[in-house]
Amino acid sequence: MIKRKKQTFEGTEGELLFMTSELDELHRDVGMPAMRQGVSDMVDAMETGARSTSRRTFLLGAGAAAAGGAAMMVIGSPSLAGAATRRVVPARSLDAGAFPPAGLKGDLAVAAVAASLENLAVFAYTAGLSAATAGKLGPVPPAVATFATTVKGQHTEHAAAWNGVLKSNGKSAVTVTNPALTPTVQADFAKVTDIAGLAELAITLETIAAQTYQAETAKLKSSAAIGLSSSIQPVEMQHIAILYYVLGMYPGAQTSSGTPLAFNPTSMAV
Amino acid sequence: MTADPRALAELLEESQDLQADALRPTHDALDELVESNHSPLEDDPVVNRTFHDEHVRSLRASLGATSILGAAGGVALVGVLASAAAASSSGDVQILQTAASLENLAVSTYKTALTLPYIGGSAADPVITKFSQVTMAQHMQHADAFNAAARQLGGKAQSKPDPAFVPVVNKAVASLGNATAAQGALGVVGLALELENIAAETYVKDTVLAKSTTNKALFASIMGIEAQHVSVLLAVQALLMAGAPQLISLAPGTGAALPAAAGSVGFPNSFYKTNMAAPAKQGAVT
Repeated sequence: MIKRKKQTFEGTEGELLFMTSELDELHRDVGMPAMRQGVSDMVDAMETGARSTSRRTFLLGAGAAAAGGAAMMVIGSPSLAGAATRRVVPARSLDAGAFPPAGLKGDLAVAAVAASLENLAVFAYTAGLSAATAGKLGPVPPAVATFATTVKGQHTEHAAAWNGVLKSNGKSAVTVTNPALTPTVQADFAKVTDIAGLAELAITLETIAAQTYQAETAKLKSSAAIGLSSSIQPVEMQHIAILYYVLGMYPGAQTSSGTPLAFNPTSMAV
Repeated sequence: MTADPRALAELLEESQDLQADALRPTHDALDELVESNHSPLEDDPVVNRTFHDEHVRSLRASLGATSILGAAGGVALVGVLASAAAASSSGDVQILQTAASLENLAVSTYKTALTLPYIGGSAADPVITKFSQVTMAQHMQHADAFNAAARQLGGKAQSKPDPAFVPVVNKAVASLGNATAAQGALGVVGLALELENIAAETYVKDTVLAKSTTNKALFASIMGIEAQHVSVLLAVQALLMAGAPQLISLAPGTGAALPAAAGSVGFPNSFYKTNMAAPAKQGAVT
């Protein structure tokens, strides 16, 4: 075992922040336009359902959703709802059996499930940040706070992309968290007492999302839908890598015992 | 990575055993792929034309990228490779061979890097050494999988590295000759980062280009792994540039000592780009 003296980044934080700022600018200049173009291509390519929304309207709508304008419904979630800062509409009749909503078939059904998974991730990070801010999770490392805030934003953009597809095909945006997974996430979140526990829950959510996108790659019909799904899966995988790093574990796909994997499985896909 | 190199070596050994098991269903799936892909449509002129057009677009996009490796082929390659693509009989074989060539290049690069004292020698950070070893082994497995898929479709295995990128990698490695350990480590990380990103972007694009669902699934199972390599290398690069190599560690407490910016440096984009993707036929066996 090699022991190293731990040091903080005094004097070098500015340099790292500068690098992050550059990356953020790159994301704004390149990433977002690329996302909008990719989703727009998907809208153009999909032939299912009526299109009541023009491409231009969709692009504007996607941007608004990415900015966090949409309210989110969490399916029966008193514990999560209490910690969240977003407006939460109590669940009424929605359950796992009624999801995806009737009328959504094929790629649009996949889009709905994807949006619901992204909503769940957004809500979990929101709840986690809220609990951390309230001092319920003990000391919060600065890197973890930055991670949660940044990742929450990326999941919001992912949800907006899928909802943009739905709206552009004349369908309603999905504003609920995934009904099948929400109860489990609620139960797990209720057991979280520290940052490590929150990180482990986040790894589970990110893994489910990544593996679902991966599995859908071979099932989606539209090339544009495949492209959108494939553009998101590696980002979720990157979230997982950094979460593992923060936890002091091998920073990559691995078995439950920590053995690195060269091929990502899909056993946790929904 | 772990603070204990021995522990990681054990993990690596377990991983290799596990991957051998994991590849069995892949080979089964490849058998199914052969049946589905050997259809009369394979040599359909319309199908080939579509692939050719797709290929030309991806080639131009890739060569338009602004990295040293992205510019490696030069504009002259566009005409040569694009015209040759029209004669192809199977688009999937080509992209599988190109993928194998990228993996071969990654393997040879990590192998060379591990001979450098500040990557694989006694002066190296053991975490970087072990990460390089694990990652190199994973790229070997990826190359095997891509070549197995190509062979199952009647294509040849690609045993050589991507020809367009080899001179650039050689030049980059040669430039490390007079570097200090710190400079050299940064140079290697930067080179590996670029190779990993090209691979990840290529496979993201290949999930769209591939005709068979089995090949789509194969690319999808690897693209995220490469993206994770990118993420780790971005974090390592940032820590090296910040003069904090002691934080390249998985020892308990390291996470708490990381600066705020380390929490986001590993995933710069919400959507993975493909403008650095290698052209579909760039590494195909001729």
